[in-house]
Amino acid sequence: MFSKLISRNSRRNRKENGLFFSSLLISIIAFYIILALSHQDVVVFLTKLESDAVNRLLSMIPVFYGMALFILFFLIYFASKYQLERRRHEFGVYLMMGMRRTRLFALLLAEDLRNSVVSLAIGLPAAVLLSELISLITARLVGIGIVSHRISFSFSAFVWTAAGFLLIKFIAFLILSGKICRQEIGSLLVELPDGSKKQLSAWIYALAIVAGMSLLAAAYSMSISGKAWSRYEQMGITILLGLAGTLLFFWGLRVLIGLALKAGRGNRPLSVFNFRQIQETVMYRSGSLAVCSLLILASLCCFGAGVAITRFYGDSEPHVLDYTFHRTQNEHTAEDIKKALTAHQLDTCFDELFEIRVGLIRNGIDRTDRTAPFQIAPLMDALRMSPPSNDRDVLMHNLSYADDPYLISLSGYNQLLRAAGLPTLTLESNEAAIYIDHDFCSAEKCRLLNSILETKLETRLNENICYLVGSVQTTNLVTDRSITLSFALIVPDEVFESATLGNYSVYLNGILTKELTEHESLMSAISDMNDKLDNTGLSYESYLKNMGRQLFYMVAAGYITIYLAIIFLIIANTVIGTQFLMGQQKSDRRYRTLVRLGATYETLCRSAKTQIHWYFGIPAAVAVFSSIFGVRALFTGILPSSVKSNLLEMMLISATMIFALCVIEWIYIIAVKRTSDRYLLKLMIPKREE
Amino acid sequence: MEPILMIESLKKYYGKSANQTKALNGITFQVMPGEFLGIMGSSGSGKSTLLNCIATVTAPTGGSITMKGRQIHSLKGAALADYRGKEVGYLFQNFELLDNLTGQENILLPLSLHHVTEKESKVRLEQLVSYLEIKDVLNKFPSQMSGGQKQRVAAARALILHPHIILADEPTGALDSKNAKALMEKLTGLNVDANATILMVTHDPNAASYCKRILFIQDGAIFHELRRNIPDESKQAFYERILKVTAQLGGGSAHVL
Repeated sequence: MFSKLISRNSRRNRKENGLFFSSLLISIIAFYIILALSHQDVVVFLTKLESDAVNRLLSMIPVFYGMALFILFFLIYFASKYQLERRRHEFGVYLMMGMRRTRLFALLLAEDLRNSVVSLAIGLPAAVLLSELISLITARLVGIGIVSHRISFSFSAFVWTAAGFLLIKFIAFLILSGKICRQEIGSLLVELPDGSKKQLSAWIYALAIVAGMSLLAAAYSMSISGKAWSRYEQMGITILLGLAGTLLFFWGLRVLIGLALKAGRGNRPLSVFNFRQIQETVMYRSGSLAVCSLLILASLCCFGAGVAITRFYGDSEPHVLDYTFHRTQNEHTAEDIKKALTAHQLDTCFDELFEIRVGLIRNGIDRTDRTAPFQIAPLMDALRMSPPSNDRDVLMHNLSYADDPYLISLSGYNQLLRAAGLPTLTLESNEAAIYIDHDFCSAEKCRLLNSILETKLETRLNENICYLVGSVQTTNLVTDRSITLSFALIVPDEVFESATLGNYSVYLNGILTKELTEHESLMSAISDMNDKLDNTGLSYESYLKNMGRQLFYMVAAGYITIYLAIIFLIIANTVIGTQFLMGQQKSDRRYRTLVRLGATYETLCRSAKTQIHWYFGIPAAVAVFSSIFGVRALFTGILPSSVKSNLLEMMLISATMIFALCVIEWIYIIAVKRTSDRYLLKLMIPKREE
Repeated sequence: MEPILMIESLKKYYGKSANQTKALNGITFQVMPGEFLGIMGSSGSGKSTLLNCIATVTAPTGGSITMKGRQIHSLKGAALADYRGKEVGYLFQNFELLDNLTGQENILLPLSLHHVTEKESKVRLEQLVSYLEIKDVLNKFPSQMSGGQKQRVAAARALILHPHIILADEPTGALDSKNAKALMEKLTGLNVDANATILMVTHDPNAASYCKRILFIQDGAIFHELRRNIPDESKQAFYERILKVTAQLGGGSAHVL
C-alpha cells in the first residue's frame, strides 16, 4: 500500500507540475554540459594547440561545477517548496489519520527519490544528446572539420552529474520536509494567507525609490566610467551600491503601484483586483523580486557581453600568411631557413617564401641620447589642425610616443601586399609610408590620417628630410597576431639598410601552395605541415596556432558567459514562476469568491494573465533597463582598447542578444500562464462546503 | 403576481445507486417578490445544497429552477456569469471579502465584473453605504474591520447591482449576537423599505424569526412551513413557534412520527 501511494504521488507530482519537473531536467543538463566540456570537439582541438590555456580553463571546471551546484540548489529549493506547499492539506490529513511523522518523512523521501531517478533517467540521455549536438554545432561553426568527430560522452561527467543532482535535491528535501513534518496538524490543514505586514507611510517608500535609483545611478556611472575597475575596493563599493539600490527600489515600488491604482481605476474587469494582487506581491516579496531581477540582469549582461566579446575575438582579419619562420641558433638568415626547408624537401610546399625585415634606427644615433630619430611634430600639428573628434584625440595620444619608430623594408612589405592581392607601394629615397597595426587603427582613424598624408607631409627621419606619403598600411607583417606594431615607417631598402646598420630582425613568411590547400582543407594542410615542420627543428608560427588562440578566447568567453547566462535566467524565471503559482493557490478563496460574484473562466484567466505579465514584467523590465548600463560597464572593464571604437556595434549585438533572451522569458511566461489556466479551471468546479 | 423564483421537483443526488445520498429529493416552492423567506433544517438536511443549486454553484440532478421566467439550467458562459453576479446577490457565512481590497473596492468588485461603470452605481453606492453604516470602513481593509462591519460590506457588495434576489447562506453564522441582530435588522429594513427579496438559509431560530415565511427541510424534502402573521404576530411569538418546529426537527419527529 505504502509503495503504491509513493508511486501514485510521484507520478501525480510530475504530471501536475511540469514546470518544476522541467527545471529538474534543466539542472541535470546544465551539470552534465559543464562537466563534459573537456570532451567537446572544439576543446579537444584546442588542447592540441593551446594546451596550457585550455588546461587552465578546464582546471576551473570544478569551480564552475560548484557554483552551478550552489545556484541550482536554490532553483530546486524553490521549486520543491512550491511542490510541497500545495500538498500541505494532504500531509495534514495523513497525520490526522495517524501516520507517524517519521513515516511521513519516509514517504516524502521515497517520492522525492523516485522523482529524482525518473528525472535522471530522462535528463541524462537528453544531456548527453545535447552535449553531442553542441559539440557538433560548435565544431561546424568554427570550421574544424579536421578533427573527426568523436562521441563526447564522458563517464565521469555522467557520474558527477547524478551525484551532484542527488546531493542538492537531498539537501533541499531535508530542509523542506523537516519544516513540513515539524508543523502542527492544524496549521497544515488550513491554508495560511500571507501575514499582514505593517505598512509605513507612503513618503518613506517614495524616498526609498528615489534613494534606490540614485544608488543605482551611482553604481552604473562608477562602472561605466571605469572607476569601478581600477581597484578591488572600488568594485566592491560599486557592487554594494548596485545591490542596495535594487533592493531599495523594489522595496519602495509599492508606492508607484499604489499611485497607478489610483490613477488608472479603469473599468476593465478586475483591474482593481489585479492591481491589488500585484501590489500585495510587491509588498510581501520585494526581496525575492529584487534578487530575481538581479539574476535576470546578470544573465542578460553575461549573454549580451559574452556574445559581443566572442564576436570580437572571432572577427579575424583577412588571412594572408600561413607561416612565419624565426631565426634560431642554427639558422641565422632567411637563406639558412630556406636551406633547411629544402633539405627536408618542404620548400616545394610553399608558393612563396619572403622576408620581412624590421629594425630600429641606429645610424648616427646615440641611443642613450634623448634626441628623437624621427620628427613626429609635423604629423601631430596636422592632427591638431583637423576637426576635433574622439579618434583624433586617441591618435594624438598614441602618436606622441612615436618618435623612435620601427622601420620596415619596402621590398618585403611589397611582397606581402602582392600576396594579399593589394597594390604595392612605390617610394622615393626621401619618402616613407606609415604602418599602424590593424588593432590600433580603426577605419575612422585611418581615414583621418590618410587625409593628412595626402598633403605629402614633410618631416625628418634621421636628420634627413622625409616625406610621408601614400595611405596608412595595416597588413599584418607576420602570422602571429600577438606581434603588433603600433607605429612604424616603411622605407626603401637602401634607406632601411643604412638606417638600421644591418642590425634588424628577419621574419620569413610562407604561403602554402594552392594545390596543397585546395586538395585538402587549409586547416588540415597546415596541421599536416606542422607535423612535418616539427621534425626540422625550425622555429615557426602557423596560422593554425593563431586561430587556436582566437578560438580559445571565443570558447572561453562564449561558453562560460552563455552557460552562466542560461543558468541565471532559468533560476530567476523558475523562482518567479513558482512564487506566482504559489501565491495564486494561496488566493484560492479569493478566486472562488470571484466565481460566485459572476466572474467567468475567461475573465479569471485574463486577470491571471495580467498579473503574470506584471509579475514577470517588473523584475524583467528593471533588469533589461539596467542591462543596457551593465553591458556597457562590462565592455569598459573587459574589452581591450583596440575594439572600443566598435562600441556602438557591439552594444547593438548585445541588444539583439538581450532581445533573444527576452524571447526565452516570454516562453516561460506562456508556460506559467498555461499552468495558471489549468488551476483556474479547477476552481470553476465548485467545492462542496457543508 | 408572478413569483420571482420557482423551484419545481428539485433533485440533487450524490454518488452512485448503491450508496446514493439524496441531498434534495424533489423540492417544490416559490418565492414572491418582496418576500423574506427562511430555509431551516439541521446539518445535512440539504439546505445549503438548495442554495448552491439556486446560485448555480451546483448542478441539480433533476427538476427545474426558474428565475423571473427563465430556466437557469439553460444558462451558459456569459449569461451564466451575469446571472451569478447581477440577478442573484450572494451573502456568505464567512463574508468572503477579498482581504487585499478595501471595503469600497470590495463593494465595487461586481461592477467591474459586469461592465457597469462606477458612475452608474454612484447613487446606489451612497444609499447602501449610508443605510448599512459603513462609511468609516470604506477605505479600510477587511483585516481592519469588525465581523459586523465585514458582513455589512459584504451585504453592500451583494446588493450593489440590484439583484432580483439575495441568497444569504447563514449570514449570522460568524457573528456575535449583537452584530447578528444589527445585520438582521438591516436585512429586514431592506426587505420592508426597499422591497428586496431575500432567501436566507439558517439554523439560528433567532435570525429566522426576522423572516416572513420559513420552510423547514429534512432529508432533502420540505417538512414544514411557517408563516408569520404580519402585523399581528410579534417577532417573539414567531420565534417561539419556530422553536417548537425545530424541536421536532432535531430528532423529535423521528420519535414522535
